[in-house]
Amino acid sequence: MSSITIQNVSKAYGDTKVLHSLNLDIHEGEFVSLLGPSGCGKSTLLFCVAGLEEITDGQILFDGQDIAARNPRDRNIALVFQDYALYPHMSVRENIAFPLRRQKIDAETIHGQVNWAADMLGLTKLLDRSPAELSGGQRQRVAVGRAVVRNPAALLMDEPLSNLDASLRVHMRTEIKRLARELGLTVLFVTHDQEEAMVMSDRIAVLAGGHLQQFADPMTIYRKPSNRFVAEFIGSPTMNMLPDAGHPGAVTLGVRPHDLTLGGSGGFSLDGRLTLIEPAGPHYFLDVEIGGAMIKATASDIDGLAPGAEVTLRAEDHRVYRFDSTSGAAI
Amino acid sequence: MVSTTDLSARPKPHRTSRRRKAGPPLFAYLATLPTLLLVALVVGLPLLYSLWLVLHRTNPITRKTSFAGLENFRIVLENPEFWDAFARTLYFVGFSLVGTTVIGLGMALLLNTAFRGRGIMRSVMLVPWAMAPISVGVLWSFIYAGDFGSLNALLNDLGLSALTMPWLGDGARALNLVALTHVWNQAPLTALMLLAGLQSMPSSLHRAAMLDGAGPVQRFYLITLPWLKPSLLFVSILTIINALMAFDIIWIMTRGGPGQSTTVFAWLGYVTSFQFLRFGEGAAILYILTALSFVAAVIIVLVLGPRRRRAARSVDLPADEKTSLGSHGSNRIRRPYDLPAPAIRPALLSPAVKTWLGRAGFRLGIGMLFIWSAVPVLLLLLMSLTPATDLIKLPASLVPSSVTLDNFKAVLFPDGGTTSTQAKRVPLSLLNSFLVGAISVLIAVSIAPFAGYVFARWPKAKIFQAGLWTMLFTRMTPALTLVLPFFVLFRMAGLLDTRSGLVIAHLSILLPLIAWMMKSTFEGVPKSLDQAAIIDGCSRFQMMVRVLLPVIRPGLVAAGIFGFLVSWNEFLFAMILTSTPDAQTIPVVLAGFLSQARFHEYGPLFAASVLSVLPPVIIAFVFQRYLVQGALSGAVKG
Repeated sequence: MSSITIQNVSKAYGDTKVLHSLNLDIHEGEFVSLLGPSGCGKSTLLFCVAGLEEITDGQILFDGQDIAARNPRDRNIALVFQDYALYPHMSVRENIAFPLRRQKIDAETIHGQVNWAADMLGLTKLLDRSPAELSGGQRQRVAVGRAVVRNPAALLMDEPLSNLDASLRVHMRTEIKRLARELGLTVLFVTHDQEEAMVMSDRIAVLAGGHLQQFADPMTIYRKPSNRFVAEFIGSPTMNMLPDAGHPGAVTLGVRPHDLTLGGSGGFSLDGRLTLIEPAGPHYFLDVEIGGAMIKATASDIDGLAPGAEVTLRAEDHRVYRFDSTSGAAI
Repeated sequence: MVSTTDLSARPKPHRTSRRRKAGPPLFAYLATLPTLLLVALVVGLPLLYSLWLVLHRTNPITRKTSFAGLENFRIVLENPEFWDAFARTLYFVGFSLVGTTVIGLGMALLLNTAFRGRGIMRSVMLVPWAMAPISVGVLWSFIYAGDFGSLNALLNDLGLSALTMPWLGDGARALNLVALTHVWNQAPLTALMLLAGLQSMPSSLHRAAMLDGAGPVQRFYLITLPWLKPSLLFVSILTIINALMAFDIIWIMTRGGPGQSTTVFAWLGYVTSFQFLRFGEGAAILYILTALSFVAAVIIVLVLGPRRRRAARSVDLPADEKTSLGSHGSNRIRRPYDLPAPAIRPALLSPAVKTWLGRAGFRLGIGMLFIWSAVPVLLLLLMSLTPATDLIKLPASLVPSSVTLDNFKAVLFPDGGTTSTQAKRVPLSLLNSFLVGAISVLIAVSIAPFAGYVFARWPKAKIFQAGLWTMLFTRMTPALTLVLPFFVLFRMAGLLDTRSGLVIAHLSILLPLIAWMMKSTFEGVPKSLDQAAIIDGCSRFQMMVRVLLPVIRPGLVAAGIFGFLVSWNEFLFAMILTSTPDAQTIPVVLAGFLSQARFHEYGPLFAASVLSVLPPVIIAFVFQRYLVQGALSGAVKG
């Protein structure tokens, strides 16, 4: 396992810049997510680290060594692709053994290594099947097996869970995180799902438009977003924004629905008219109209409430975020 | 335990419930009826007649016909000439298979790379295949011709007169050159199929292999080739059938000679039937040819076909989607082997040199592709613009003394200043070709889509499967088998030498072709669209006309363009079924130039050839997308 240092990395296709001087320092054994909306450059950055794309400027270091001159195959990187990229004409066993074969490792070692990986991933009974005979979840495990079988310097994952159904996705994110920890893998995990990133990562790098927005541990990102973009991207439902008038120096207030409650305490309060109640299990979401804007809040109890009622919502002062209305930066 | 209880608890499927599953509706039968009826009429009837022929012998003098059983086959098989032709056919097929695969794969790999002008290069690549085999034959027979040939002219111009020779004069060389010409004509088809295969390959596959440590050569053998295996399987069968049936270019280039050296089965069958008038034996040879097509297809499927793994396919494993990964409890997993990081391979060449070499190689490839595909066609254009006298000048030279449009005048205007009777036939023949092509396509396109729809939607209904296989079978039947029955039946019906007769003959090719293409097109249309149309109040017929046909219009256009090309290029039917200029199409007139050629007619001949090539070239460039789509969904043009 290696540490990965990304220094001032930029990437451009012709005149279009897709990565702007990024800096990330990823420790050995750390699980880092690259999070952002589609087109933000997260997959491009991943492919740059893998060597599948060339960087225009800057340096990528593995354990302090510049790897710019190395071919993808000399970087000892494993990548799990979004579509898994299993070799369709090879059996599961041949797929997992493929990287080891290319290193000309002796047959006995390969055999042992493949069996170890298969056992770890619950694939032992499937070793002689072809990828076409596997379910989506099984294919994904084969892809992981092919990646971890050879002790890579780092494991890169490009939205590996996006093709699984919802309940399996939730199951797999736990399993992958646990596996990464047990193997001590350095993982770079690309996703557009903020919840996935929150649950899995040691640290999250939020990207937008090729710029790094914030790089911190999940709860810091959730509780101390560095700007409005991060604040709105993280958390579900999205943070409420209460814009101030558009004069210079104006401040936009942000408050998360979970922090804004009916009948709660706190110094921050809003009055409005209830328009919709959405039961969500442990609590209810309320849609409240305040001065023409729709605000989402939560309530644990809605006894005697009906749409049309006038309500007062409250939040603790330190749960109310302030952003510069023009730059979006947190104040 | 649980699963067994489950099984017993599940209600057993009732026999009646399965039977109640509705068969195809009446509409399905009505929709296929016209196509199947016409195919039965235009293909089935002639086939039956040829079956009668092969079982009978006619005394050429007394004209008495008697039942002969398998006698015709015995005579053919005992003829040593048959076995010589057999060997030559095998050689010819092997040559084309290797040639088209190697060259086609090269072209596909080149054109799969993104570069500026790729669209144009793809069109250029397609031209030799879009041309009529007759035009291909005319072009290459003049290139290889003895005294005035372009190849000799080029050698003269380069000062290499010592190397000039009558290229088609030597037996073995002639066979090779004819096979090479066939490869020139057919390689684009292979390239097209392989290109489609390459483009459906997910890019992540190569990226994954790259990260897994495979170099470019390893990736080609371990990833690309296995990926292409299904395409290769399909295209090999097609190539073999096309090579077995190759007739037109042999007719033009060598007529089986010199001696017997280019007499392959197709030619032997033709000569036996139409020159020696031994119809029974000719039919026998052609039946053997059909059998060979089948055998070849079976062999290819056995060699390249999907190999079933002996794995526990039958053993159904329990659903294990939510397996827990890792150590199942303990804290840290130990690898059984401590694999060292792989050694970094020292680079032989610097990245800059590698990039430069790669680019240079790629450009060289593109250049070669251009020379291979375009230069011969441009040569034809040059010759058509060369004064007729230059073409027969000795020593021959490629450089014309002047550039002239006289040759085109000669073939396009009634008083074009030529004494050539053949040249005067060109304008009418172009019109005939156009009319026959347009009318056959219109008929086929208005009938066949209905059948294609049914084949796509009820693939399991036995009756439609049978219809589909019959149509596929027509593809393996040499046109030569059908042409004699056509001739006899047309003579009875007074259809000989008419455009209507040719339209009927061409429908025997176009109907199965377009029905097949429409089947693959409809397979790509979601069934929910049919259901939506029915729910919204359409009858089945309205659903076709209002909803489905508009949806598949691109496929329809592709089928039409493709079918027109097939009809425009068709030679054998047109030659046998016409005898006067009234109904002759352009390939027949081109061939006529050669059989009654006087050397001053080379100019008009090349002008006519250029005109015959013009529609295919226009289609290749302007309608490339449709042509490719047509080729891929139909994949049946020879």
